[in-house]
Amino acid sequence: MTDQPRPTVSVSDLRKTFYDESRGEVHAVDGLTFECFPGEVFGLLGANGAGKTTTLRMLSTVLKPTGGSASVMGHDIATEPEAVRKSLGFYSASTALYPRLTARETIDFFTRINGFPREAVDARVAELVERFGISEYENGRVDKLSSGMKQKVSIARTIAHDPPVLIFDEPTVGLDVMNALEMVKVVRELKAEGKTILYSSHIMSEVEKLCDRIGIVHRGRLLALGSLDDLRGATGEHYLEDVFLHYVKEAEGIAGEAEIGPMGELEEGVVTGRGTQAGEAGGAPHP
Amino acid sequence: MTGTLLRNELRMVLRDTRTVLIAVVAPLVLFPLMIFALNWVEERETQRLETQTYAFAVVGERADFVEGVILEALTLEATRPASVVDGVGAPADNGEPGAGPTISAANFERMDAADVDAALQAGDLHLLVVGRDAEPADSLASGVPVIELRYRANSDFSRSARARMEERLLAVRAEMRDSVFRAAGFPVDLDQVAVLESENVASAAKEAGSLLGGALVPFLILLMLSGGSIVAADSISGEKERGTLETLLTTASSRQDIVHAKLGAIMAVGLAVGMVNIANIGVYIGLGVIDLPENFQVAIGLDTLLILLMLVVPLIVMVAASLLLLSGIAKSYQEYQIYFLPLFLVFLLPSFAAFLPGVELRSVIALVPISGLAVATRALLMGDWHFVWGALAFASTAAAGWVLLRRTEATLSNERLITSAGADEAEFRGGAALFPREVLRWFVGFWVLFFVVNLWFGEDLGVRGQVVVNLGVIFLGGSILLLRRYELDAKETLKLHRPHWRNWVAVLVGAPSVLVLGIGLFEVVNRYVFPVPESMLESFGQSLVADIPLWQMVFFIAVMPGVLEEIAFRGVLFSGLRKRFSSTWAPVVLSALVFSVFRVSLFRFAPTFFIGVVLAVVVLRTGSIFPAMLWHFLNNFLAVVPQEAGWIVIDQSEGLPVAWYLMALAGGVGRFVLMQRRPGRRP
Repeated sequence: MTDQPRPTVSVSDLRKTFYDESRGEVHAVDGLTFECFPGEVFGLLGANGAGKTTTLRMLSTVLKPTGGSASVMGHDIATEPEAVRKSLGFYSASTALYPRLTARETIDFFTRINGFPREAVDARVAELVERFGISEYENGRVDKLSSGMKQKVSIARTIAHDPPVLIFDEPTVGLDVMNALEMVKVVRELKAEGKTILYSSHIMSEVEKLCDRIGIVHRGRLLALGSLDDLRGATGEHYLEDVFLHYVKEAEGIAGEAEIGPMGELEEGVVTGRGTQAGEAGGAPHP
Repeated sequence: MTGTLLRNELRMVLRDTRTVLIAVVAPLVLFPLMIFALNWVEERETQRLETQTYAFAVVGERADFVEGVILEALTLEATRPASVVDGVGAPADNGEPGAGPTISAANFERMDAADVDAALQAGDLHLLVVGRDAEPADSLASGVPVIELRYRANSDFSRSARARMEERLLAVRAEMRDSVFRAAGFPVDLDQVAVLESENVASAAKEAGSLLGGALVPFLILLMLSGGSIVAADSISGEKERGTLETLLTTASSRQDIVHAKLGAIMAVGLAVGMVNIANIGVYIGLGVIDLPENFQVAIGLDTLLILLMLVVPLIVMVAASLLLLSGIAKSYQEYQIYFLPLFLVFLLPSFAAFLPGVELRSVIALVPISGLAVATRALLMGDWHFVWGALAFASTAAAGWVLLRRTEATLSNERLITSAGADEAEFRGGAALFPREVLRWFVGFWVLFFVVNLWFGEDLGVRGQVVVNLGVIFLGGSILLLRRYELDAKETLKLHRPHWRNWVAVLVGAPSVLVLGIGLFEVVNRYVFPVPESMLESFGQSLVADIPLWQMVFFIAVMPGVLEEIAFRGVLFSGLRKRFSSTWAPVVLSALVFSVFRVSLFRFAPTFFIGVVLAVVVLRTGSIFPAMLWHFLNNFLAVVPQEAGWIVIDQSEGLPVAWYLMALAGGVGRFVLMQRRPGRRP
């Protein structure tokens, strides 16, 4: 699939620098370049704080890049933000639903404001309600729904306007096994429909199962990019976890079992590992 | 798109039971409850004071005399209800000639006690009447008896007893005096001396309009703020808290659409709550629960109503936009509530401008957002409407509303809405990088200070005091404060560079020329476009003809402004604005605008703006502040001193000789030819 001629998402030397009072200048995303194609699940694999979320937020135009460029369906994220947002659906643990709307109203609302043709809205909503089995509780208010029901409504609102590109940012965080499996199933279906899917995760098994190509992100940089087999071949490791560690250790310039230090991103409370020497030896860029 | 968003907003508002409760049910229930409670308390109080029997005692060396007077006083018939004495309502017969003394109903009972003072303290006695002879300290004719009423102000009954007794004693005393006059053959009935009448020529509608017009804007703001706030708090800060904001921002809807929809929701709910409250009040007026002032009648024509509706539109937009802005700035619901009280005051205080004595629509007040509208509304309802000034008032508030609206849109694009950390570059670097962004805010602060000082202390300070405080304290102090606060390079900020020598010549030629050209320009404008009342010109002239020696006049009117105003406006402000805006003209115009706003008199607004533009251009052209200082000095000097000192005499009605204008034109052109930067120096 990677040899499809026209990329739907193309990211070129994308950068995002934050200024943080305690840490100074932080390069959350430091020159990412990749492309995604229709019918492909493109995985962004990285520890918490590696820069995955920041990258995806820039793609959804919520954050503005400090440097580089990116486009979605040929629309530049800097100059045509609305066209970009119209052609993508964004799902993450931090995109909540309106508690006072019913399930059906939620789907209806997001179908409309994403610019779906007005006359086709009702049919589209009915189709989504049917597809995700929401009809039983379609008139229940979102704040009264169970987490599994909310998840279905969330997915339905993400794809409400039938966008060609879908972004799933750590979609299984906080979900139980059954709901996580449901999520994987939905992503597979969407892939079969020919959507381009950007899937970020730090869970190796998920990425192993789902993604056609995997980009390993560390400290805002892309360490490796290829299919699982490509990466296995290049590193000589079998499990994705070992593949991942291989690249990270290589990047940090250390051998052995040193832990992975925190990455330079700004989400509070998501930093894993301990502030090890490895982290500092790697030299997080400072102003 | 906006329609869908707006519908969604309103749907969510209506589903929030708290909102509906606070916005609709609370005023419907609380308001009448409050009125009933107040009426009930008032009635009971009146009744209690009227039916109370007041115990009093009489003591002192002239007790006999006092007893006689009191005996007579207690036989007087009550002429009006007791409530009037107790401070509720206004006496209906107040000031009407020919009416007799007013006596309130009261029951008095004489009581004897061993220790009257202790009894008064204990509350057994309500009133102690002491009769004594005048003492030397009283500086009265000897032999005049003094009746002293001792009471306790912390007791309602004791206070009331004193008031009622005093009325009666005054009436008896007047009668005693009148009987002396009558015995001597003088007329006692005042109407036999002369009849005094007054007549109100304002129509009842105009009188009511003045009252209603003044109260309308504060009332509207109050309703909009309390009603709109319910939605606004929920709008952005609530979405942030619930995590729905990122969902919304990743949809295809534009930031503008989102802001407009939220604004629409705030205005809709604010207006709806307002309507409910007004209807509510209307109903209670209809039921007679609320009393309107006597002869209250409002006759509003269709045209007045239309203008009124036009006038309140920018006000409503402004209130809604600032509420939304607040919601965008606040990180949470709670933070929003903390910010709300200051906002409340910021809106409400200026809206009371219409109640200030002597404030007229035709003054600089028209340019103050909200205040201008408040005064315009009153002027409209009392039939004192002026179209140009009304339009100015409309424009000033509309402009403020527009700025707030834009700021709100920008807030939604702020990345901090999504990521909790991550200040932008300027904030990270702080200091000098923040200065361009905050300089205007500082000058708004200076202006408020300036305005307050001149309003409250202006007359006490006199011309010299005003100059020292305004220029020496506010302008120079403010400039130094900013230079230090942002660690600015004084030489660069104030443009303390040595100018090219030709600039000095250019200034010497240019300043007088441009002064004369300016006078000519305003002559034309005054005569044909925008007449300034003659009285204004006179009062302006008088303020300067203070009794000051010539050298002081030169110092306070020309030297100090020349140096200090240049430091503040063409130095600090202008350099900050130049870093803020990429265009050349925006900082020139804006700095001149700010400069001219620091003239409280509207008449001086336009000339100050004009000279502000000229001086900013001088700084731009020469790359130095010194020529601007000389220019400013010359301008002020030539504008005032030659006339004040009597060196030249100019007939105001004639204007300047035409030859002057021609020379000025030549000088003005010459100035541009001569003026240039020192080679190799960047501005």
